[in-house]
This record gives sequence, structure tokens and C-alpha cells, in this order.
Amino acid sequence: MATRTQWSPGAESWQDDLGALPRTEWSYDRAAHLLAHAGFGGTPEEIQRLADVGLERAVKALVDYEHIPNPKMQPFVESGLWDPTLDQFPDSRPEATDRAERDGVSMGVAAKPAGNRPVQPVSDRFFYWLRATMLETRRLGYWWANRMLQTTHPLEQKMALLWHGHFATHENKVRDYRKMHQQIELFERYATGNLRNLAVAVAQNPAMLYFLDAQFNVKGAPNENFAREVMELFTMGVGNYTEQDVRECARAFTGWYFDDLAFMVDADKHDAGPKAFLGRTGNFDGVDVLEIIFEQPVTAEFLAAKVYRFLVRDELSPELRAKLGTVLRDADYELKPLLITILSSKDFYSAATYGGHIKGPVEHMVAMMKHLGAPTMPGVPDFNQSTIAMGQNLLNPPSVAGWAGGKAWITPGLLIARGNVAREVLIPDMTGFRDWNFQAGTDDVLGQRLRAGYDIGAATAVNDPANMSDFDRVALERDEKFNTRISGYIGWEQAARKLIPTPRDAARIDLTAMVLESGATTPAEAVDQLAARLLRVPASAALREALVAFLTQEIGTDSLERAKTYLEDPLRMTAHVLMSTPEYQIV
Amino acid sequence: MTICDECGVSRRDLLRLGAGGVGLGLLGGVGPVPSVLAQAARSVGAASSAKILVVFEWFGGNDGLNTIVPYGDPAYYRHRPTIGIKEADVLPIDAQFGWYKSMRGMKNLYDDGKIAIVHGVGYDQPSFSHFTSISFWHTAAPNSGNEYGWVGRTASSLDPTGARENLIVNVSASQTLAVKAEHHVPLVFVDPDAFQRGVFAQEKPLLGLLGTHEAPVGDAHRYLLEVTKSAAQASEVVRAAWGRYRTKANPDLRLLDLDKVVALIEADFPTQLYYVPLRNSLFDTHVNQAAPHDRQLQYCSDAIEGFFAEMRRIGRADDVVMYVHSEFGRRVPENTSLGTDHGTAQVNFIIGNAVKGGMYGQPPSLTELVLGDNLASTTDFRRVYATLIGDWLGADATQVLKQKFETLGLFAV
Repeated sequence: MATRTQWSPGAESWQDDLGALPRTEWSYDRAAHLLAHAGFGGTPEEIQRLADVGLERAVKALVDYEHIPNPKMQPFVESGLWDPTLDQFPDSRPEATDRAERDGVSMGVAAKPAGNRPVQPVSDRFFYWLRATMLETRRLGYWWANRMLQTTHPLEQKMALLWHGHFATHENKVRDYRKMHQQIELFERYATGNLRNLAVAVAQNPAMLYFLDAQFNVKGAPNENFAREVMELFTMGVGNYTEQDVRECARAFTGWYFDDLAFMVDADKHDAGPKAFLGRTGNFDGVDVLEIIFEQPVTAEFLAAKVYRFLVRDELSPELRAKLGTVLRDADYELKPLLITILSSKDFYSAATYGGHIKGPVEHMVAMMKHLGAPTMPGVPDFNQSTIAMGQNLLNPPSVAGWAGGKAWITPGLLIARGNVAREVLIPDMTGFRDWNFQAGTDDVLGQRLRAGYDIGAATAVNDPANMSDFDRVALERDEKFNTRISGYIGWEQAARKLIPTPRDAARIDLTAMVLESGATTPAEAVDQLAARLLRVPASAALREALVAFLTQEIGTDSLERAKTYLEDPLRMTAHVLMSTPEYQIV
Repeated sequence: MTICDECGVSRRDLLRLGAGGVGLGLLGGVGPVPSVLAQAARSVGAASSAKILVVFEWFGGNDGLNTIVPYGDPAYYRHRPTIGIKEADVLPIDAQFGWYKSMRGMKNLYDDGKIAIVHGVGYDQPSFSHFTSISFWHTAAPNSGNEYGWVGRTASSLDPTGARENLIVNVSASQTLAVKAEHHVPLVFVDPDAFQRGVFAQEKPLLGLLGTHEAPVGDAHRYLLEVTKSAAQASEVVRAAWGRYRTKANPDLRLLDLDKVVALIEADFPTQLYYVPLRNSLFDTHVNQAAPHDRQLQYCSDAIEGFFAEMRRIGRADDVVMYVHSEFGRRVPENTSLGTDHGTAQVNFIIGNAVKGGMYGQPPSLTELVLGDNLASTTDFRRVYATLIGDWLGADATQVLKQKFETLGLFAV
């Protein structure tokens, strides 16, 4: 079995040096480092291919990916939950039912002309869409994760993930998986393109327009939500503009809105008057103010540092930040020159970068499948539940500031969750698994009560109707316009009837073949082989020794050949422990 | 600002996968492990008599004017012709001010003399950014910064060598900056049920090896090793406490995340500093604010009343003070979207038996507005902090805040 140098961090003195790594320094280990940071890691074969072609071509293969065939990318197949009556979806349940009382119809559903709970179908319809878009967004996240896993363009997906967290919107407010889907496509399209163009496209993206209240930003009554965030979080950082700039910027964006999935400008609502913005004066519109923002040197530094922190390591010096900003600005905000500079630099291979990046949960989940050789993201455990447990709900970042990243990914609870997710991937609980898409959460009990023959009043009572007298139970059935509590359940049911089920298959992995084919013959070689695949930072000597003893005991022999018919689960437990180490969380 | 609050998560799923952002704490916990609890309590000394501070952070920018409503001031209705709270929807305190109607729970506590309302709390040159402003509040360093949070620095003052374990608890998916401490590792979690390592019997002996390494490769690695060690210890004691906490089965008592605090206090945890940022906050009310603000205030107010009912039940009501703040208030005039934009000064609450109830601080003028239609703050928030750090916890507020602040004198001596 080939012994590979696993861990060869470059010199400490390389830190902050953007000069290219000398060719003589290129190696298998350096290629592994590159793929772990610029993508989601890879199999030994994938790493070897990069090692064989040399630094320049390896970096080029990652950055200039457009011509590389990507046969496994499939379009998202919608369940068909949306229809045009859901356009102009009401902001709240009261608005939904008020509409029905006013117009007799709301979201394509009519109120009943007579009888108890005449507006119930409308209330149900409102919750139908809340559940439908939430459930479809889970499918969308799962689809995206599979793209990250199966792509031949890992840097494209890594950068798209960066932009999702940077230009953050969440479905829980946007309430339209189609807009979130549109946004993923946008982030893929501009993943390594021109950042100024990306910022303009984001400013005109319906999910973002809705998320930051563009529809309320009109001439004479500007809403500052987007204007503030575009400068504070998306381009410049706080402290580089005044409150006056925020107000003027908001005026420039007035009249921008969307019609369903299309960007629109309402000239009547646009304030075309002069604005004084960041030292310039003119009749600016949104594109103009973005141009001005991108003329600021601080913008290039802010964005280059964001890219760097996401791909390379959490901390960077002010000097390096300034240098990276210059590279980005000199390239007129084209990302590829910046990416090539970073990924080819001595700094990137310096000791500070080795082990300097804590993987985010989505990145971690994809990398896990890469390491284990799984061709697709499994259905058990559920992808979204797994990443949520580890602290990242894809397509639902906690706020417009995205995910903090770095050490914020790790708390005692989140670290434990990482080990638990690894176990569920390696040794899934197939018989205990229940599909959360088809469980109405805390509303499950309502379904049970309806099916037990209780009417809506009794079914939605705080106390269990089974423990009430008939008199009390009957008294619960009251005249009302609608019952929102039951709508939460009915809406989920209606959405679940249409929802395409997610296949609930276990991860297709074969550690036995993986280990035996590597040439390993003993438990020690098996542990080393698994560790080499999984870990960038080597595990402690004490753990390695304990794992060898553990595996030997589990298989009852020193011979992998002798144990090959029952080797799989012992190897999986070994991998589970390796994936629970602090070392596995960093690259 | 909202996060998914309708995810259906079964307890079994949580147990499988671990803690994280969606913990709902639905059902009962694991069985009691009294010896672990006794150990947790022992590691402090006299836990049961120690004074406790619970910070309940209402992130999002709470609209203080629609919380403690200045219904006696005609200027209020001039600024807010549409979304101003009508007199009929106010639970009056006096002829000027009243609680918004959905806050019956806090009104009850106020009527019992247990809430200090502090008007006009803020700082000079306020930031209108959620994230910047909350970082100023977290570090107690407005328009500046500090590597550690004010709660973390208070821990250093209470226990300069960091000898006391679990002095700080942070009920949150990720660590709040306020609790970042030089010598203490805050215990951070959301869902106690999920806070355990899932391992097979034969793997157990290996777990003890995860937190040590002969050659850490850098800062991130060292951090992970440290968290690995504290996670092992903390998960056991937290789950034991949660497992013994019975009130969680009561559907009428909706404590938001304060139920975890009750469980730990009831278990005699050594914690003196609890920090609970509100999850799924609806306080950022730019648009159509009436309904979500009504709901949010009711949830929070009911939770606080329930929390103190629990403190009375377990006999700890005299030892606990709660502090409620946001990162800023909202602009005085309503906007054209039936909402309000980011503002400046806010109303704060300090709650507990030890508090001399009433209103403190100068209410900001509604006619002399500053910084584009905003309230001029009248009380620096660090005066409130100094009051809590010094007058309540008995720590050195001047050292923690790097400056001396006059306290508000709101605790009964």
C-alpha cells in the first residue's frame, strides 16, 4: 500500500505572500489541500489527478470549469405545488381571510356562501402554501446538495454557496421556493464571474426584492431596508458611509419591484431627482449607486476578504486584505484572477492555512459523501435535518447577515451533532426513520383526533377531548368564521398529497471494498487508510492506536482477508469515531 | 429575522442528530441522573443561594413606543396616526403610559411591584444596523469593541481564575458575543434532549480520547479540542437536569426558551449568568407591524410571567433577576408600510422580587426628535449594566465596563 505524505504544511513565512507556490513544492498533499478548500474534498483518485497535472493546471481546472462536461447536473423537478392564484400571496393569515370576506375569494379559493366556518377553505389555502413552499424548499436544498456532490465543477458550487450566505435571503420570509430556485441558478451563473454584475443581478432578483421590502420603497416614502444592507452587508461594511448615504441610496432604488419572477421598474414610483451619494451627485438610479459603491476601494477589500475567509482561513491580516482588494479591483471585479491568485499563492499553502478552516455544515455533509465514496446524497438521514442539527438550514439563513461561519459553527451541542450525523450516515436507523415531510409536527395530534371522529372544535381543544364529558365536547363546537389551528394541519395534508417524495435510501457506500482495494491487509492499515481518506489534520497517536485495537477486537483477527465477509460495520464504526474527532471538522 | 418555526421535528430525530437550530423540546427528557446533578451543584459551593441574572434579549429592534405606550401624549398619535396604539388597547400605568394590551402577564408582575421599566435607554451616536448595534450592546463598547462580551467579563469579575464550571449558560444555536469570556467556556445549547453523543456501546471507551492531541495545528484546532472536552461534561449534566424538569409537560405554560433556564435553576446548577436570545424574533417590524408585534409581545410577556411563577414554585424567586433589552428601538413616526424603521432609544425591563418596581429614567421627548425623527436617549445602557453587575451580582462594574457608571438604584436594599 502506498504510504502518502499526508500533512505537509508550507513554511510559516509564506503567510500573506501572494507569490506563486514554486513548482517543486507541488505534491499529492498540496493537491488534497487545494481540493478541500476550493471544493468539497475528493477521493484519492481525484486528488491524484490534480497532483499529476501540476499546480497551474490543477488551479485552472478548478477555476476555468466552463468547458468541463458536467453530465450529472439535472434540473430541479417541481412537485407542482404552485399555481397562478398564489401570486400576490397575502402577508398574513388575517390579510388572507379579510380578502375573502371582502371579495368572496382569496388565493383562488371561494368562501362558502353559508354554514359554519364559511372562510375555512381560505384559511386552509393560506396554510397550504406556507407548508407547500416550506416542503418544496427542503427538496430544493436536497437537490442543490446533490449538485454540490455530483458536479465536476466543485468551485462553482462552493462559490454559489458562498453567495447564498452573503446575499442572504430565507424562504421563511420569501415564502416562494420558485424564487429561491431562481436565486440558486443566479448564484451558479455568477459564481466566479464579475462581482459587480452579480451585485446588480442580486439587487434585481425577486427573492431579494421581496426579502428586503423593495415593494415598499417608493418615491416620497423610501424604505431603507435594502439600501442599508446593500452597503453594510453586501459591499462595503459598516462605517464607510453615512446615514445620509443610506437615505439617498434608498431613493435611488425606489420604483424597483418584481412581478412574480420578473424584475420590474415602475417609473412613476421612482424618485428621479438628484441624489448626493458617497460624495457624488446626480440623478442616480439603483445601477448607478451600485457603480459608485464598486468604485470605492473599500468595496474590493471587503468582498475579497469575504471570499478569502470562506475558502481559505478565518483570520487575515489587514495587509493581506489590502493586497487581495487590489487584485480584485485591478481585475475590475472579475473573480477568476482573484481566485487564481489565492489558490496558487504561497500563503494558501502556508502553515497558517493548513487546518485553518472549519467546514460549514453543508460543506461538511457534501465532503462526508465524497470521502465515503457515496455517489448521491442519501435519503436517510434527511439532508436538511442533518445540516439543521449541525447549525445550517440551507435556504434559510438565520438573518440577512447570513451565517457567521468560522468558530461560530462550533458549540458543544453543534459539535456533538456532527458526530451524530456521521453515525446516521454510516449506520442509518432504517427501521426507525420517519419522513418529517409527512409528519405535521406538533399538529399531528389534530389529524389523529379528526380521524377518531372528533369535530373541529374538539380536535383543536387544548385538552384531550377523549378525557372530556360529552357535554364539554359538544360545547367546543362553536360558530366561527374559521379555525386557524386546524388549517395548520389541513394545509400540511394538502401540500403532502402533491409533494414528490424524497427517496429514503441509505448512503450507498462500501468501506470494505474501499479498504481492501487500497491494499490494506491489517487493522492498522485499515485505520490508516480510512484516516488518510477522511482527515486532513492527522488524528492523535493515542486515538489511532485505540482504533487499531478496537477494530482488531471487533473483527476478532489481525487479517482483513479473514474478516472480509463481516468487515463492513466495524469499519463504519471506525469511520464514525474518526468523523467525530475535532480534526475531521477542519481542513 | 424570522426563522422556520413550523418545522416538524420528532424527538427521535433530535436524539439521533443532535442539538441545533430547530430544537423544540417537545416531550419528556431522559431519566434522572441525580449523581451527575449533585456533582454539578457541588462544583460551585453554595449554588442555591447565589444570585442569578437572566438576560432575555429581544433581538430585532423592539418598538418600545408600542410596548410601553405614551398614550397620554398627543404627539405620539401625531407621529403614528395609523399604527399608534389606541387608548382602549392600553393597560394603563398612569395618565401618560400604559402596557400594550397583549402584555397582561408583565402587567401583572408590574402591579405586584416586580418590574422596573427604564425609559430612553441607548447610547451616543447610535448605529441603525441590527448587527452593529447588538455588537455594541454585547461588548458594552458602543462605537468601539471588545474581544469579550459584558456577561463574559462579568464572569471574570465574579471568578477571576475561571475555577467555576458552567458559570455561564447561553441558550442559543450559536454562541452569543455577550457571553464570550476570557476564562470561562459558556455552556451553549438549544435543545437538551438532543445534547448527547450517539454512540454504540463498543465505541464508548474511545470517546475520552477525542479531546486531546499531542500536536494541535493551530487556533481552530485548539478551539475544537477545548469544545470537545467541555461538550462531554456539559451534555450529561444538562440532560439530567432537563430530564427531571416536569413543568415542560404543561401546555399552558409557554416559556419560550426560558424553560431550560428554569430546569437548570431547579437542578441547583452553579450558573449565575444565563443569556437567552429570543429565537424566531418578529420584532423587526418594518411592514404591517400590528399583528406580529401583538403576538410577539404576548408570547414574551406570557413567558416571563410563567418563568417567575416557576421561580416561586421552586423557591428561588428572591435569587433571580431578569433583564430584557433589544438592540435599538424604532423610529418615532410610522413609515408608509404600516410599520416602523430602525431607531434609537428603547425601553428596558428589569424584573424580579429584588426589584423596586416602577418607572425609571427620563422618558424621551416625542417633540424634540434627533437624528432624523428619532428618540434622544436619556440613559446610557451601561448604567443599566452597571446596576445589574454591581448592585445585583456584587461584581466590579467599573472593571467590567472599563468606566464608572452611576447605577439606577432600582434594587431594594
